[in-house]
Parts: sequence; structure tokens; C-alpha cells
Amino acid sequence: MESHATEMMLRWIVLAPLLGAAVNGLLNRRLPKQAAGLLACAAVGVSFVLSILSFLRLAGMAPEHRLLTDTMATWMGLGNFQVDLGFAMDPLGAVMALVVSGVGFLIHIYSLGYMAHDHGFARFFTYLNLFIFAMMTLVLGENLLMLFVGWEGVGLCSYLLIGFWFNEEANASAGKKAFIVNRIGDFGFLLGMFLIGAVLLPQLHEGEGLFSFMTLQHHAGLLAPAATAICLLLFLGATGKSAQIPLYIWLPDAMAGPTPVSALIHAATMVTAGVYMIARLNFLFVLSPTAMAVVAAVGAATAIFAATIALTQNDIKKVLAYSTVSQLGYMMLACGVGAFAVGIFHVMTHAFFKALLFLGSGSVIHAMSNEQDMRVMGGLRRKLPVTFWTFLAGTFALAGIFPLAGFFSKDEILWKAFSSGNTALWAVGFLAAGLTAFYMMRLLVLTFFGENRASAEVKHHIHESPVTMTGPLVILAVLSVVGGWIGWPAFMGGGAWFEHWLDPVFAGGHGVEHAAAAAHGAAHAAGQAAHDTTMEWVLAGASLAWGLLGLTVGYFVYSRRTGIADGFRNLAGGFFYRLLLNKYYVDEAYDAAFIRPGYRLSRTVLWKGMDAGLIDGLLVNGSAIAVYLVGSVLRLFQNGAVRFYAWTFTLGVAVFALYLGFSG
Amino acid sequence: MEITLTHYLVLAGLVFLTGMVGFIVRRNALVMMMCIELMLCAVNIVFAAFGRLHAAGGAHVFVLMNFAVAAAEAAIGLAILVEIYRRSRTVNVDDLKALME
Amino acid sequence: MEGILFWFCGALLFLGGLMMVVQRSAVVSAVWLVFAFVCAAGIFAVLEAPFVAILQILVYAGAIMVLFLFVIMMLQGPVLEGEGKRIPLGLWPLIALPPAAVVVLVVGYLRQPQKTGFAGPVPEGFGSVSHVAGLLLGKYLLAFELISIVLLVAIIGALAIGLGERKLPWR
Repeated sequence: MESHATEMMLRWIVLAPLLGAAVNGLLNRRLPKQAAGLLACAAVGVSFVLSILSFLRLAGMAPEHRLLTDTMATWMGLGNFQVDLGFAMDPLGAVMALVVSGVGFLIHIYSLGYMAHDHGFARFFTYLNLFIFAMMTLVLGENLLMLFVGWEGVGLCSYLLIGFWFNEEANASAGKKAFIVNRIGDFGFLLGMFLIGAVLLPQLHEGEGLFSFMTLQHHAGLLAPAATAICLLLFLGATGKSAQIPLYIWLPDAMAGPTPVSALIHAATMVTAGVYMIARLNFLFVLSPTAMAVVAAVGAATAIFAATIALTQNDIKKVLAYSTVSQLGYMMLACGVGAFAVGIFHVMTHAFFKALLFLGSGSVIHAMSNEQDMRVMGGLRRKLPVTFWTFLAGTFALAGIFPLAGFFSKDEILWKAFSSGNTALWAVGFLAAGLTAFYMMRLLVLTFFGENRASAEVKHHIHESPVTMTGPLVILAVLSVVGGWIGWPAFMGGGAWFEHWLDPVFAGGHGVEHAAAAAHGAAHAAGQAAHDTTMEWVLAGASLAWGLLGLTVGYFVYSRRTGIADGFRNLAGGFFYRLLLNKYYVDEAYDAAFIRPGYRLSRTVLWKGMDAGLIDGLLVNGSAIAVYLVGSVLRLFQNGAVRFYAWTFTLGVAVFALYLGFSG
Repeated sequence: MEITLTHYLVLAGLVFLTGMVGFIVRRNALVMMMCIELMLCAVNIVFAAFGRLHAAGGAHVFVLMNFAVAAAEAAIGLAILVEIYRRSRTVNVDDLKALME
Repeated sequence: MEGILFWFCGALLFLGGLMMVVQRSAVVSAVWLVFAFVCAAGIFAVLEAPFVAILQILVYAGAIMVLFLFVIMMLQGPVLEGEGKRIPLGLWPLIALPPAAVVVLVVGYLRQPQKTGFAGPVPEGFGSVSHVAGLLLGKYLLAFELISIVLLVAIIGALAIGLGERKLPWR
């Protein structure tokens, strides 16, 4: 490919948090509590600073050459099969690294306050640092295998952090569920990788890393025949990690973990790994229109599906969790219609405001003495002003209100969906956007407006959070407001700088709308300006209006206490309400369809049949019995019974004579 | 009717079988030894018959060898039996279990 | 002539053997065996083996059986079969196994085509003392010497066992 520069900084972006985790992990007890926290924050801070420096370095290079690599060693080398232990940062990697380390850093600071009274303080920061390490490996890995290593690593950290308070069985189960469901997706991911290897390995030249992204992009043509299968398999992995249908079920349960975990892992970073993977492999996905269609359809379906569930949930974190699932659906939708850059844009803005919302909810929960049910909250805007105003900013950003960040990214997605010709996808996304605004307003009202419905004991303790917690809230709020401006679209007079920044990565991957001209760099802007922008304005306006409508309706329904909410709840005898409240009974369906049969199979076949019957019975006991039987026969030759000996003599003679007689 | 080799062989066979069954079935060690003698006698008859068939004098010589061996074996065997009787006052082989593991 | 003798001696031989096996008393068994041996001598006579026939009576019936009778008389008490378990019915097939094998062998042999008749006449003097003696001290001299040694060893062994360790003359 193009020339690039080697950059030793890259490995430290990844390894600094690992170092932090190692120190914290090993010297757990001996460090004073505060030291552990500060060390962890410093490690991530180093990562963040190095990411900024690398980004600046990239920005200073010509667009076609923007690639920094840092190969540490050869991991595996067996003839044609070559995998390096290396990192690479291109524009996409830079964006992801900045988001992960930046938001990660803020959440580390936040955790200093949030987890201050927890016994596992140092352990928490160990896991957090470990997570940053794994996530960095994921986004900066120079080949698919490194990505997968990071993929598994974040899965592990997710498990560790969800079940952080493992003394409660529910928490441990949630951690297990997350890991196992992810594993199912990873199975698909692995099969996809094997398929790539099978197709590509025979065709490689010496020295080309098999899974290296450069190699894959170079030989994309060879993979074309198998592209659909590969992409669908890889997408299965993405549905697991990024919580899409059918493997989203772990994310709501993951709310059992501490709130900073929910913010970092299950909103801002880990769950976006699937989106990143698809964006990274865009050259492969565009080879298969079928796979793209599936990705888009699943994304859209998930978006609206999760939004409907969020309408009825009473736990503040669960609402945000389903909201995350829904927004991830939008990102998938974007990738599915070929707008990879927009998908990544939404990843970034979503990281800002969703992390903000989660951290804000953490602040609320902290103030409410660990109460998470919104039905006993209310009126908190007076007592928690900073939390309230930042939360408001986050809500508006999520609802897609101009000029906050969410508007630009979400609107762009809807526009790309529309202009790809698929009006149905646009309609679904549009509808879900309205629902999003509605349920977020519901959350806002129930939590911050009206009268506080908690017990006197709890009410007494309500207080604003310390600076370590409100500081990050403010920073994220600012980002939620201005963060979208770097993607100010061309039709509104902006330079679409974000999309241009990512052009070298997605050149040729613009899907349906730019079928001709796989442009590099500047040519893209020209293509954009050639469009008639009327439709864009119409759609942007419609999105904005729809979002505002959702907010307003939500405000009135829930704050004026009109009977509308109750009316809807009792519709059809409460059927719809219960359906949504119980998440469409998906967990129960999976339980009946897979878990119980699997359990039964294990119990009857594997346990009783194979383990007890075959291995214990036949092999272990059986060999003992066999020895016993043989022994009981052989024992006869030593029984001292003379008549038996006599009989044996005659028998032996007879046999011998027979042999002699007939062999003649 | 003409007496053929077959007749002699069948006769010897029957006698041999009788001795064999007796050897297995009887409990008295002395009787067991007598059965052995009976078997040996049957074998002698076979040898003599074949000797007659081929007009081979060697068969008779071998019969003499057989006599000697039978005598030697009877002598030693009986001596051992007597010794066993002295020690355990029985010649019932079922009671002689000292060789059991 | 030959035939009558054969059948006569043969039947009595078999009878003697049978009776020997089924007697309860060891003494009676021994006597029946003597009888059987005499009949066997008759068989030998029919088979043109006069020397063997006489020796059968002298050695077998005269010496070996006498020895047996001596010993039986010596072991006063338990010459009767004694108490003890009868052989269970299920074991008889097993006991019949070796005899069955022998039967198979004999039958198998007999089914083959063979010279059945003692067609050829016997050379003059066949089976006589001089004939056997000639062979014994001629062609089979080595066997003769070896068997002597066997008998010598047997004598010594019988003495050794019979006298017991302490009473041996050379100790």
C-alpha cells in the first residue's frame, strides 16, 4: 500500500493501561486506596495523550499516506501463514483510539468518586485498565487476529466487571450470560476467520500476513465469491458484541455491574466493537450486497425493537441499556447502507452522550442511596442541579435536537438510509427516533421533575455528587453539544470534516449511492456537492420536528399526569404493556428453546449416558470387572484342587493330540 | 470276521477312555494311579497292533520301554503317596489342598 | 481262532477296566486290574507278541500290581472311596470333553483309507524272545541302557522318599 511511518508510540497507547492493570492487580493490598485509582487514571491518561500525539502526527501527513504502524514481533509464522504482533493507526483507528482513551479517562476520574466506598476499589481499577488495554488492542490491531484478541479481552473484562459484586448471584449470572452469549457470536466470528483463511491462504505470497488488514484489502477480489458467507458469519459475532438481534439479551442484564462499567463498556466502547469491525472490513462487506442488506435490516429492526421495550422499563439503567441497543441498531443500519463513516460518526457522538447519560444516572443512583427504580424518584432537579443540566444536554443530544451532537449523526444515518433507495429502512429508523425522544423525556420527567416519591430516609440523603463525578459530566455535556460540529454536513454549509477524515479508509466503500468514482480524498467533496440538497433539508427538518414532538408529548404525558399513560398501559387489557415490560418474553423463549433442551441433553445424554454410563460404567468399572473376570478364570489354575488339575492334564493332552492328528 | 487293525485300535481307545475318565473322576489317589496304569496298557496295545501291521519288532521294544517307565513311575508315585499319607493321614485328593494359592 | 480269542480277551479286558474304575474298594479295584492285565496279555498273544505277553504278566501283573496291593494294605484306613461330594451333574459335560476329543481323534483316524487287514504274514520268529532280544541289544541298545538308568534312578528315588531324609544310608 502507500508508504507509512513506524511509530513506537502506538504500542504504548496499548501497553500503558496493561501496565497499570498489572501493578494494580499484583500490588492490590499494599497500595493505599487512592494511589490505585490515581495510577489507573494516569495509565489511561498516558494512553490518551499518546493518542492525541499520534492523531496530530497523522493529521500532518498527506491523506493518502496516513498510516502509522508499530510491529512488535512476529506472532506466528508457518510458511505462508504469517501473523504479526503489531499495531496500526489510520484515520479510523485514530478516531476510535481517541474516543476510547478520552471517554475512558473521564470515566476513570468519575470512578474515583463513584467507587470511593467500595471494598474492591483497587480491583475495579485493575479491571478497568485491563479493559482499556483490550479495547485498544482491538481498535489498533493491525490484523484481524489482533482484533479478535482484543475482542475476547473486552469480553473477559466485561464478564469480570458485570459480575464485580459477585456476592450477589444475580450479578454473577449476568456476567455469565454476557460471556456465554458473546461466545455464541464469537463462534460465528471464528468461522468467518477460518473461511477467510481457507480461501486466502493458498493464494498468498511469502511475507504477507494472512489476516493483516492491508493483505485482506489487497486481495479482496479473491474473497469475493465467499464474501457473503464470511460477512454473515462475522456479523454474527458483531450481533453478540454489539447487542443486536438475536444476541442482544445480555446487555440489559449487564446493568448489574457498577454504573461506570455500564457507561464505559456497555455504551461508549465495547459494544461499538462490532460496528468498528464491520467498518474496518468495509472492503469485504461491500462485496456482498446480501450481507449488507442483512446488516441494515437487523440494525433497523433492533433499533425499533429495543426502543419499544424502553418505553415501559422502570429501572433507569434498563431504559438506557435498551436505548443503547437501539442506537447500536442505527450504527449497524448506517454500515448496512454503505455509510460506514457515518456509522463511526454516530459511534463517537453516541459515546459522548450515552456515557454522559449513564454517568448522570450513576450520580442519581448515588444520590438516591442506590435506588434505581424511577417510580420512587422525582424532583431531583432542585437537589442535583449539575446532574440535571448535564443530563438534559445528554437527553437532547440523544433525541437528535439541533445543534447537539446526536442530531448530526442520527440525521445523517437516516438520510443515507433514505438515499440508498430503501425507504422502509428510513421509515423504521424515523419511527424509532420518535420513540427515543419520547422515552428519554419520560425518564427525565420521572427522575427530575415533580415531587420526590422516595422514603424520608432516602430523601434525607439526597445530595449532589462530588467534583470527581460532576467534572466528567460537565466535560461530556460540552462534548455532547459541540461534538457533532466536526461532522457539519455539506448541505448545511459545513465541510463534513469527519467524513473526509475517514475517506482513505472507506474509499470505494460508499455503497449504493456513489457506485461510480471510488474517490480518494478531495474528489469525494465534489461528488457530494453534485447532489440536489432539497431532500436532505426536508428530511433533516422532519427528523428535528419529530424529535421535538416526541420530547413534548413525553413531557406532557408524564409531568401533567394526564391519564394517557395509564390509558395506554391498560390497552387491550394490559397486553401490550406486559409484552413490552417483559421484553417480548425473548429471554423466556430462548430459555425454552435452547437452555432447557440443552440442560436436558446435558443431563440425560452427556451426564447419565456418557459420563456415568460410558466412562464410569463401561470404561472405568468395566475394565475393573474385566480384570476381575479374567482373574477369576486364571484363579482356577491355582486352586489346589487335584481333580481339576487332572482334568486339565487330560484336556491338554487331548487337544495336543487332536492338533497333531489333524495337522498331518 | 476278520479282525482288522481297526478293532484293536477301537479296543485300545475304549480302554484308554475308561482309564481317562476314571482318572478324572476318582478321589482315591491309589485308584487314580491304577487308572494311569490302565491308560498305559491301552497304549501298549496300540503299539503292538501297529507292530503287527508293519511287522516291526521295534514296536515290541518300545512296549518294553513302556513297561519300565510304568514300573518306575508306580514306584515313585507310591512312595510319594505313602509319605503324604504319613503326614496327613489321607489319600483323598480333595483334601490335599496344600498347593492352593 | 484269532477272532474268537480277540473278542474274548478284548471284552474281558474292557470289562475289567470298567469294573476297576467303578469299585468303591481300592483292593477290589486292584484285583480287577490284575484280571484286566491278564486279558491284555491274551491280546498281546493274539498280536503275535508272545514275549510281550509273558512280560506283561510277569512285570505288570506280577510286580507292579503286587506293589500296589502292598501299598493298599499298608494304608489301612482310607482304602474305601470315602465321603465327599458327588460330582454335580452340570460338570459331566466338561468331564466328557477330553474323552470326546479322543473319540474324535480315533474316529478321524479310522475314516481315512488305510491298510486294514493284517494281510501280510509275519516273518518267522517274529515277536519271539530271541527276536526281541536281538533288537534290544542290537539296534535299540541305547534305549535299553537309558531305560536301565531310568529304573536305577527310580529305585534310588523310591528309597529316598520312602526312608525319609534322616535315614538315608549315605547321610
